Amino acid sequence: MSQSILVIGGGFSGLTAAVEAAEMGYQVYLVEKESYLGGRVAQLNKYFPKLCPPTCGLEINFRRVKTNPNITFYTQAEVKSVQGSAGNFNVEVVVNPRYTTPQCTNCKPGEAVASVEAPNEFNFGMDNRKGIYMPHPMSFPNQCVVDPAVAASAEGQKIKDAMPAGHVDLSQKPETIQLNVGAVIVASGWKPYDPANMERLCYGKYPNIVTNMMLERLASPSGPTGGQIVRPSDKTMPKKVGFVQCAGSRDKAYLPYCSYICCMATLKHICYIREQSPDTECYVFYIDIRSPGAKYEKFYAKVKADAKVHFIKGKVAEVKPGSSADSVVLVAEDTIGGGKVEQEVDMAVLATGMQPVGALNPIPGIEYDADGFVKPKEGIVPCGCAKRPVDVVSSAQSATAAALKAIQMIRRAG
Amino acid sequence: MGEQQQMQPDLSFVKGVMASGGETVKKCYQCATCSVVCPLSTNDSPFPRKEMLWTQWGLAGRVSGDVDVWLCHQCGDCTKHCPRDARPGDVLAAIRINAIRYYANPKALADVFNSPGGVVGAVIAAAVLVLIVAAVWSQITGNAFPFPLNHEGKVEYHEFLSVIPIDAMVLPIVAWIIYVSYNGVSRFWNDISKGAGLPESFTGTYPKPSIGLLLSKYLGPAVMEILSHSRFKKCGQTAERARGHLLLLWSFIILFAVTNYVFIAEDLFHAALGLISKVTPLPLYHPVKLAANVGGIMLIAGILMVKSMRTQKTEEGVLTSAAPDWVLIWLIFAVGATGIGAEVLRLINIAPIAYPVYILHLATIIVLFLSLPYGKFGHLIYRTTAYVFQRWADDVKAGKAGFGLEKAVGAAH
Repeated sequence: MSQSILVIGGGFSGLTAAVEAAEMGYQVYLVEKESYLGGRVAQLNKYFPKLCPPTCGLEINFRRVKTNPNITFYTQAEVKSVQGSAGNFNVEVVVNPRYTTPQCTNCKPGEAVASVEAPNEFNFGMDNRKGIYMPHPMSFPNQCVVDPAVAASAEGQKIKDAMPAGHVDLSQKPETIQLNVGAVIVASGWKPYDPANMERLCYGKYPNIVTNMMLERLASPSGPTGGQIVRPSDKTMPKKVGFVQCAGSRDKAYLPYCSYICCMATLKHICYIREQSPDTECYVFYIDIRSPGAKYEKFYAKVKADAKVHFIKGKVAEVKPGSSADSVVLVAEDTIGGGKVEQEVDMAVLATGMQPVGALNPIPGIEYDADGFVKPKEGIVPCGCAKRPVDVVSSAQSATAAALKAIQMIRRAG
Repeated sequence: MGEQQQMQPDLSFVKGVMASGGETVKKCYQCATCSVVCPLSTNDSPFPRKEMLWTQWGLAGRVSGDVDVWLCHQCGDCTKHCPRDARPGDVLAAIRINAIRYYANPKALADVFNSPGGVVGAVIAAAVLVLIVAAVWSQITGNAFPFPLNHEGKVEYHEFLSVIPIDAMVLPIVAWIIYVSYNGVSRFWNDISKGAGLPESFTGTYPKPSIGLLLSKYLGPAVMEILSHSRFKKCGQTAERARGHLLLLWSFIILFAVTNYVFIAEDLFHAALGLISKVTPLPLYHPVKLAANVGGIMLIAGILMVKSMRTQKTEEGVLTSAAPDWVLIWLIFAVGATGIGAEVLRLINIAPIAYPVYILHLATIIVLFLSLPYGKFGHLIYRTTAYVFQRWADDVKAGKAGFGLEKAVGAAH
């Protein structure tokens, strides 16, 4: 029987569950697939409920992780399988090499000599990164990463030679670890739903159709444009922005459920845009605006009061080329005003939903429902967006609850 | 304060729509994807989103008086793109069945003509009526009953039932069909005028074009559009369905024309006025007979095409088919099959089969046309009215109707 807990995923849910359980005195293993902790929240410009940047909230959790001897965390690590039952799970984890050592916190010398570039996943491919890079300015752990595709090549050797001695170690190999734990908290989170699936919305066909998560990166000071919200085609500030709600969500052909966050995300994005550009008009095409709770409802009312923000109740079902190559026309039925609306916009933002990681990369030994959300069972506790689509606040609450639940299960099994 | 209005939900209407192929109506959550993807929907009054809501709410009058319901040809594009499987195309088809019932009188006949059992019963009843009339007629003429032969010893249907008893039977039925249809269409016209927001006079009536204008400016172009099926052919998912339907429509026009030729020549000029000698049976080389045979073959080919296309599209899940759809298809097929059958059996002179088939032919025709204001066949009058009305309403709204209504229009919405 094991008293320790495995937390899969180092985003806001996983971090919260890990520190809560560790601060109760339990041994916690935290396994994160990316090279940094913080998950999707780290990619946001600002987040609800206080609209503060991700540093507030993440930093305090990073400190709790760093200072708590009960937590062992792995980044660039994947859970390959979970076997056993409550009180006694055997877990196989593969930790992939970073090709750097902990003192490697400045990639500049390596970047200077590197020539090969690859799309920067953190910014959804809106800019490029070199073969050695820091995932983002506030990465935790604050340690450079060498792209495995580069590590084995001459480019890797060139980077190693340019970096201070002992910082880059190209001989690192993937390492398999066996863990024995009493309970598993699954906080594997979500991915932005692939907008290319909705052919009618023409993502990829016209340059100025972006997703809501791309807009977060555009608005972020650490993003590809230094925080300037400009459209991709000509890097100018759009004067008319259309928001396409339920882009894939609440649709049996794509995501049959409501993704919960997209309405509030759009309202937030309108605030970003209206702060930067006082004369930009925003058009929101929606089925229903879901702003649950008094705080969110108040926020909605505030955005709605802005004369430059127009809400059209009707889903965008067709996207047409606009009068110029840079603009698009969004077509919907205005179900309140009456008639069909064809609104030309400089940039369209698809409010794509959340797809649980379980739908794309399920872990053997964990059970999922038809949509990819984790099914709870004795010893296996899902939280955050691995369980259902939720905002950051609810993720943190469900993570705290999950920590308690995992502890109860261990004590029952023991 | 706005005007207050109490909702009068008609639950039986909702249940009626759900029972006749629209059982998915309540899945709709009003995203309006359907109204955008519909190739026939107009920019000013998109459909079918609003009809889905009105049906959920049980607003029978609002839905029945909605002209857009009749501008839908059940293409299935909306159904394909619906994110909730609410199948708006099928719901609108069910609404049309119920709208016909809404304007029918008595409504019980609508239930008869929309159910397979009801139609079979009606055909048997009509056949018995024909048989009784023929029996009575044989007493007057002294001809043999039930299998009379002419002086050449051949099957001749006029020996069995001549034009006088047929007209005595059919003309009152025709009068009834015209009466009920006119009544329904008048109420329909009033309701769709209200629904389209046309100006209402102080007597509570709505503007109508004069007969001359109606025929020349509105009915003419509407009929031309129907004859070419140009709108039906715009359907995305089921444009192929238009082909069989068009063939069928033209066969009806040909058969209607030849029937009228016989009615005028035989019944009017020969029997009633005595101006000419007996014209039937027409020889096979006679142009009218040729047209009739071509029409009959087109009718059978058309209805089989309609049937196979509907079966295929139903299997593909593009549309669903309810009892009224199949009832109409089989009834038209029965009219065509008994018509050709009666002719062939007459020519090869098999009296014991020829006369029963002839009786069935008369019975199925009576039932088909009697179902005009009651069953799915009613789309002939209501859709045509809708096509006419759409042109008229556009003119009224644009101030082109020409009787000083221009100022009032536009204020309604």
